[in-house]
Amino acid sequence: MTKHIKQETDTWEIGGKTLHSRLLIGSALYPSPANMEDAIKTSGAQIVTVALRRQAAGEGGGNQFWDIIKSMGIEVLPNTAGSHSAKEAITTAQMAREVFGTNWVKLEVIGDQYNLQPDPFETVKAAEALIKDGFEVFPYTTDDLVVAKRLADVGCKILMPWGSPIGSGRGLMNPSNLKAIRKQFPDLQLIVDAGIGKPSDATQAMELGYDGVLLNSAIALAQDPVKMAEAFKYAVEAGRLGYESGTMQEREFASPSTPTVGTPFWHQFK
Amino acid sequence: MIEVSVNGELKQLNEGLNVSQMIEALNYKTKGFAVAVNTTFVAITSYEKTIIKSGDTIDILAPVQGG
Repeated sequence: MTKHIKQETDTWEIGGKTLHSRLLIGSALYPSPANMEDAIKTSGAQIVTVALRRQAAGEGGGNQFWDIIKSMGIEVLPNTAGSHSAKEAITTAQMAREVFGTNWVKLEVIGDQYNLQPDPFETVKAAEALIKDGFEVFPYTTDDLVVAKRLADVGCKILMPWGSPIGSGRGLMNPSNLKAIRKQFPDLQLIVDAGIGKPSDATQAMELGYDGVLLNSAIALAQDPVKMAEAFKYAVEAGRLGYESGTMQEREFASPSTPTVGTPFWHQFK
Repeated sequence: MIEVSVNGELKQLNEGLNVSQMIEALNYKTKGFAVAVNTTFVAITSYEKTIIKSGDTIDILAPVQGG
């Protein structure tokens, strides 16, 4: 079947790894750890985002979760969620590198608590420092082209513009901006991160030529997260296939697809 | 004794402890956490030479779910 042939041959490079799934998935908000594990497996995702939080003394806080993730044999992408300055994000990234044993980091510096919009100034500052320190930075950013340029200027090979605010499920607020970023940076790996609500949002992002989609709430908060994980797996594959196939040109007017030659009862509209 | 903040809680510690000794004193049993002192990362290789001082703010972080 074509689908299976595609899955094996459609590989992509990200952060020095060759992967076949273009869906990146979060590990938070699932009804249970078992449900999280099932959903991640069903999604086919090969990259899962994780975080660091304060651990209480005398207990193994977080270890059951971490044991599950480790047993899955997939790439982890630690985030710096909760950081409000470059300094906090850099420290969190360094701590994550030691705990998770990866130089990958989803750089997230929040500038506004209401819509969790990333702070572009602190994000660029942190990205520059982290790249110099040997990190592979996956920066969470808005769909602002100039911020994307600044991140590329400091050495980011990956950009992760938002579709819409984190956890909003509003889909792609501004496809034109996302398109402009794709056009300006044909050689960077672009991932739409945040705001995806429906499988069709992920398909749309992939049809724009994005290399991948990162989402969490859309799967974890679905009534059936495992089934939704499967839906997103196909949505991302469909969008990618659509992009690679080259969509038809839009036309102003209708054009019949059934041959007109030999039309019975033929008549001309007046 | 000195007073420090550990994960947002005030704690009393003996004076002159390094990070390894502090972790033991605070009864952190499991591995798989990372330490920051005054918002600066302290690598495992620096635990012995990093001495905790009065008023320090210490964060001990472990893996959790994230988006």
